[in-house]
Amino acid sequence: MAELKITQIVGNPHLDGKYIAEMDMWPLEDPALNRIYPFYDNMKQGRWTTIKCKKCGRISYPPGVACPNCWSDELEWIDLPKTAKVVGMTETLAGAPTGFDSPLIIAWLGFDKAHPLKHLLVRIINCQAGQLKIGDEVKFVTFEVAAHPMDVKKESKVCERVYYAFEPVKK
Amino acid sequence: MAQTKKACIVGGGTSKFGVRQATIFDMLQEAANAMSKDIPGLRPKDIDGLIFASTTAGRNSNSLNTAPIVAHRLGIYPSSICVRVDTLCSGSNTAIILATGLIESGISEVVLVTGTEKLNLPQRWESTFMNLYTNDHDWDSAMGLAVPPPFFGMIAQAHMKKYGTTKEQMGAVAVTNYAYGFNNTNAQFGGKTLSLDEYLAARSVCDPFGLNDCCPVTDGASAVIIASEERAKAMTNRPLVYIRGTGQVATHGMSAGWPGETLADWPHLKKAADIAYKAAQLTPKDIDVAQTHDCFTISEIIEVEELGFCKKGEGGAFVASGQIKVDGQTPTNTDGGLLAVGHPYGATGARQAVEICKQLQGRALNQVKNAKFGMTHNLSGVCAQHTVVIYGTEPVK
Repeated sequence: MAELKITQIVGNPHLDGKYIAEMDMWPLEDPALNRIYPFYDNMKQGRWTTIKCKKCGRISYPPGVACPNCWSDELEWIDLPKTAKVVGMTETLAGAPTGFDSPLIIAWLGFDKAHPLKHLLVRIINCQAGQLKIGDEVKFVTFEVAAHPMDVKKESKVCERVYYAFEPVKK
Repeated sequence: MAQTKKACIVGGGTSKFGVRQATIFDMLQEAANAMSKDIPGLRPKDIDGLIFASTTAGRNSNSLNTAPIVAHRLGIYPSSICVRVDTLCSGSNTAIILATGLIESGISEVVLVTGTEKLNLPQRWESTFMNLYTNDHDWDSAMGLAVPPPFFGMIAQAHMKKYGTTKEQMGAVAVTNYAYGFNNTNAQFGGKTLSLDEYLAARSVCDPFGLNDCCPVTDGASAVIIASEERAKAMTNRPLVYIRGTGQVATHGMSAGWPGETLADWPHLKKAADIAYKAAQLTPKDIDVAQTHDCFTISEIIEVEELGFCKKGEGGAFVASGQIKVDGQTPTNTDGGLLAVGHPYGATGARQAVEICKQLQGRALNQVKNAKFGMTHNLSGVCAQHTVVIYGTEPVK
């Protein structure tokens, strides 16, 4: 009888090196994959933007292609003021989700009365654990995140991406 | 539209909850087995509708369009409805609302509501990582929000700041619910006691939460039968338990849409409760026993406020003064709640319904004396949605 051959196979070898959209922790930002790509394009320029409805005047966040107040699709992109105050915060010192470093600092932001947003949950970066305090001022900041491949006819292109967080305003 | 029929919960059962060496289909069969013992004489052929609740069946258990698979494994042939619902932590409570509507309208007669989740995966990292898919993925999750403790930690901070709630008051919820769960052999922490000193000494999860402020990561399944009054009468000799009123309110999926002035205020829960109370023709003081969504200790404190069991801001004092105990004003989470039983999202609502059914039939482990009206409540995700169902030993007149 032939000897049983044991090979070490971990996971699914057929998936080696393949991109799995289901496992992606970032948005699909390429214009071929969504209709709010101006948000991501603007973010690559360091701008924080959203939509304003030309019909009813409502400013909505996150942006979309129809106004959530009146469903009009006559929208314009506007810049959002980029500073906020920390209303609540929490630091995950260990066990942040894969892809996010510990300490993971998450804050509940409050905005000026003139700001279109009232609340927002954000990640705080460029900040040591124990440094951030409630009441601190923070500002919008962008950073590169992992690119992903996309099939275009018989070729594969690389889609580069950015995302945003907030960081402490230096006192 | 005038209702032509009344809907009842007949009985139900759950699998063992915990870190299970079992698939969702194993656990669903366990729950069906427990339910068959609770409703002697019930046969698969009695059931004409299946509403299956699970959020992660598609992802963690690789089973999309799971309802027909569940029907097959449980040997039922649905003829009025066969569907899976996903409202995360309120899945099977949502399914009970849907079953009620189908029965009251005459579309269904006997509906099996069953829910499950397999949340502990072969590698621990994935159990955390998959939670990125339960929030608004491209926005809040991209900030690193996966498992809920950081969000509810900020809720607790806000409640402590605005209303003076203390860590000891939060501890009263944990100590009470662990005590309730002690005799519950299906609970993840069944047989486990917790003192306030142990609670206060537990390792920190994230400020201000220690380990016992948080419900565990749980696998499990539950099953209940919702039937028309006529069919319920034929199936059981026990007192009938009617579904009197329901409410479900969703206000936002992403943090920018938070409906409260602060994180300590949950107006969407108050609204869901008001709708359910109105339909049930009851007020908060009529509720003899409640199962509320104690995913965290602070959640139960805010829930007893927004559900009207005490004044807004006084939830901490309410729980610490023993009003949630079995002889208190509103005994709450009498089977141990999410904190002691565990929380496999889609299974939780039906698990709560089983407990309320037993309470109103006078056969619960921690029996509330003369309980006539009961309530179940779930919140979903990072407090995006609230679901309330009110039960009674008499139907709405």
